[in-house]
Amino acid sequence: MQIEKFYYDNKIVKYFAYATIFWGLIGMLVGLLAALQLVWPSLSFDFAMTTFGRIRPVHTNAVIFAFVGNGIFMGVYYSLQRLSKARMYSDLLSYIHFWGWQFIIVLAAITLLLGYTTSKEYAELEWPIDILITIIWVVFGWNMFGTIIKRRTGHIYVAIWFYIATFVTVAVLHIVNSFEVPVSFWKSYSLYAGVQDALVQWWYGHNAVAFFLTTPYLGLMYYFLPKAANRPIYSYKLSIIHFWALIFIYIWAGPHHLLYTALPDWIQALGVTFSVMLIAPSWGGMLNGLLTLRGAWDKVREEPVLKFLVVAVTAYGLSTFEGPMMSLKSVNALTHFTDWTIAHVHIGALGWNGFLTFGILYWLIPKMFNIKLHSKKLANVHFWLGTLGILVYAIPLYWGAVTQTLMWKEFTPEGFLKYPNFLETVTQIIPMYHARIFGGVLYLVGVVLMIYNIAKTVKVGNFVADEATEAAAREVVSPKRMKGEGWHRWLERKPIQFMLLSMVAILIGGIIEIVPTYLIKSNIPTIASVKPYTPLELQGRDIYIREGCYTCHSQMIRPFRSETERYGEYSKAGEFVYDHPFLWGSKRTGPDLAREGVQTERNYKPDSWHYNHMLKPQSVSPNSIMPAYPWLIKNKLDISRTKKKIEVMQYLGVPYPEGYGDIANEDLKKQAEKIAANLKAGGIETTSDKEIIALIAYLQRLGTDIYNK
Amino acid sequence: MKDEKDINIEKDELTGDELIKGHDYDGIKELNNSLPKWWLWLFYITIIFAVVYLIRYEVMKTGDSQEEEYAKEMAIANMKLKSKRSSSLDETNVTRLTDKKSLEEGKKIYDKLCLVCHLSKGEGLVGPNLTDEYWIHGGSIGDIFKIIKVGNPSKGMISWKDQLTPKKIQQVSSFIMSLQGTNPPNAKAKEGKLYKPEN
Repeated sequence: MQIEKFYYDNKIVKYFAYATIFWGLIGMLVGLLAALQLVWPSLSFDFAMTTFGRIRPVHTNAVIFAFVGNGIFMGVYYSLQRLSKARMYSDLLSYIHFWGWQFIIVLAAITLLLGYTTSKEYAELEWPIDILITIIWVVFGWNMFGTIIKRRTGHIYVAIWFYIATFVTVAVLHIVNSFEVPVSFWKSYSLYAGVQDALVQWWYGHNAVAFFLTTPYLGLMYYFLPKAANRPIYSYKLSIIHFWALIFIYIWAGPHHLLYTALPDWIQALGVTFSVMLIAPSWGGMLNGLLTLRGAWDKVREEPVLKFLVVAVTAYGLSTFEGPMMSLKSVNALTHFTDWTIAHVHIGALGWNGFLTFGILYWLIPKMFNIKLHSKKLANVHFWLGTLGILVYAIPLYWGAVTQTLMWKEFTPEGFLKYPNFLETVTQIIPMYHARIFGGVLYLVGVVLMIYNIAKTVKVGNFVADEATEAAAREVVSPKRMKGEGWHRWLERKPIQFMLLSMVAILIGGIIEIVPTYLIKSNIPTIASVKPYTPLELQGRDIYIREGCYTCHSQMIRPFRSETERYGEYSKAGEFVYDHPFLWGSKRTGPDLAREGVQTERNYKPDSWHYNHMLKPQSVSPNSIMPAYPWLIKNKLDISRTKKKIEVMQYLGVPYPEGYGDIANEDLKKQAEKIAANLKAGGIETTSDKEIIALIAYLQRLGTDIYNK
Repeated sequence: MKDEKDINIEKDELTGDELIKGHDYDGIKELNNSLPKWWLWLFYITIIFAVVYLIRYEVMKTGDSQEEEYAKEMAIANMKLKSKRSSSLDETNVTRLTDKKSLEEGKKIYDKLCLVCHLSKGEGLVGPNLTDEYWIHGGSIGDIFKIIKVGNPSKGMISWKDQLTPKKIQQVSSFIMSLQGTNPPNAKAKEGKLYKPEN
């Protein structure tokens, strides 16, 4: 058999490794700022670009797509070449992929800070960037499949199965969730409305966790853990079963983000049950990782790389047990909208993704630079700081979440809410927010130590950009199943068939859950009194989106006595039919706003209250942790696009009268005058052309339609 | 035969488990271990749970939907509260309390709920000044009791009857009356009509 000489491209791996470290640091620093703002709202600096509502999406996007994203590519480009015994298919594609991805990240950071956002969590980027992501993702897939096709090995290893599933599913999720109709270059409305938009978004959001934070990292674990420990994989059979079960079941679980909402019951039930069925397939990955270390635990004691990997896999096991538990409706009733979710995702992000990345970096960098790590001791210090950091971050948030949720639900013997003022329940858990900052700082210090350690290693190392190697050419075998060859073994040498089969596996759940909400009318009962937003309210809604109000305020009252007592009538599916996009939110750092405009409900506030509150929240709610929005008071409302906005809404099926776009601004001005007059009566001098007027109009409309019978 | 097979089997040195022939990926080998039994059982049990759950809630509908759960929760609460909330105290028969304890209780409620709009000394902000003799909805104990109870939502005064018992409304009304003539600094200008107590 002919032995062929070729070179692995290590330079691209190095690029992605450096990008991982750089964006990781940035993402965590932004997270720290967000955490500080929750204790000291003045750290928003009364400046639009640094308020929590814009910082928070920058943090989540930076950590998911910049830190973990580059981490995925680093690991894939390293392992795929070696598992295929081939250089990457095309150097050009590799570097288009690298620079394209970094360009997207920079664009994302800038546009999010500027307030250009779709409001859909982890899919906030506007349509031009969505298109760019699609292109670069295809470049990645093309390069990856090219490499797999021209591989010198016979079969593809389990790590590559996970890479393939990741590529296919992320492509499907991203494209389906990003269908939006542009109003301008940096503004679009979601194709879907209300309940459907929520369902599509959380089908996407949940599976961003599944197929961006989980499956690719499982693939990395399957390569780097046995390599670092020099041990065989515990069970090939387990790999097969847990891989297929995981990708098939995961896709169904999205609705667990929408339990007790206006989402139809049957979809919620699917979300609950498939989440519970996910425990074993998820744990399959953890077991295959931990049991691979049998016989090598003595190495774990000594080798920081393995320590990081072991804690990463353990954190994965913890959060994949916790997730299904949180998907039980009775548990979710307590944990949803609280910091429990925040703690949960950080076990995943800091533990699983962070630690796996660090472990890989500590293994990979010395390897590529042909030198030992500068200091094992320092890596050990990093390990302990990181582990401690995770605990100090998460435990107080769990504690705070339980405290707050119980306060939300507590009634006095007379049957009144014990804590009718939402703010009381926030003030109560501020000490926990302090503790979480400390935990985050510990973790961050560990990262800084790692950067120092790696810099020192790199400095004296001898980097080989093109690593010479050799392997035998691939044997030519029949494309058909051979005698005695299992069907899966056959599939492992047919990457295209493998991809198609995994695509089928992930499409089933999504189709069964999403399609019926369009076809079966009874899923979303309409309400006659629900009308489209007025032009001014629509503009106000866009400001609400721009400022990221949904990052702290939900608009979804669940059917619990403790919520209807606090906020008013619970939310109905039919109330959201004109909401492109939906704005239900996922966290209540502040109170729910679904019935904010209803005069007979307890949360109603007059226009002047909103004005003062936006100008300086603490002037009307002492101890509030909401940032101030003084620019809304100064900025003039841009009404040049009102017509276009109305027309896009009409295109999406919102029943404005024909030609309404042409006269929309007249109605807008009339309504604005009324609000300005109200403010004047409340002693506030302003003009009707300000942004604040539109935002007040929107807030006062919220939840009112079903009361207009 | 058996011996021959054993010779063909490659074993992992540390655990003695069987390695699968031909599985070598960049040096990573794979063992031929079966699925852990307890793991398999865990998987089966969760599948059974899912099937039972779906049948119960979505096919047989013997489990409550979330709307039914809510209706039950409210029915129980209403039954329990009916007796506790019924009180003969209302705006027609309420009397002003002047004892220290009641006024202290009233101040506590005021600081928690009213201060936001009327400020800490009753000088008024979004809501009117409560320290002067001018009242939009009347200044008798019954008038104040009533406006707290029913509210004037369009002006931002919500109804407090779902948050305060009649007793507590009486206490806070009495406290508000005690602010008369305190002349706090920066008080809001007079609104409404002059009200003079009858006696």
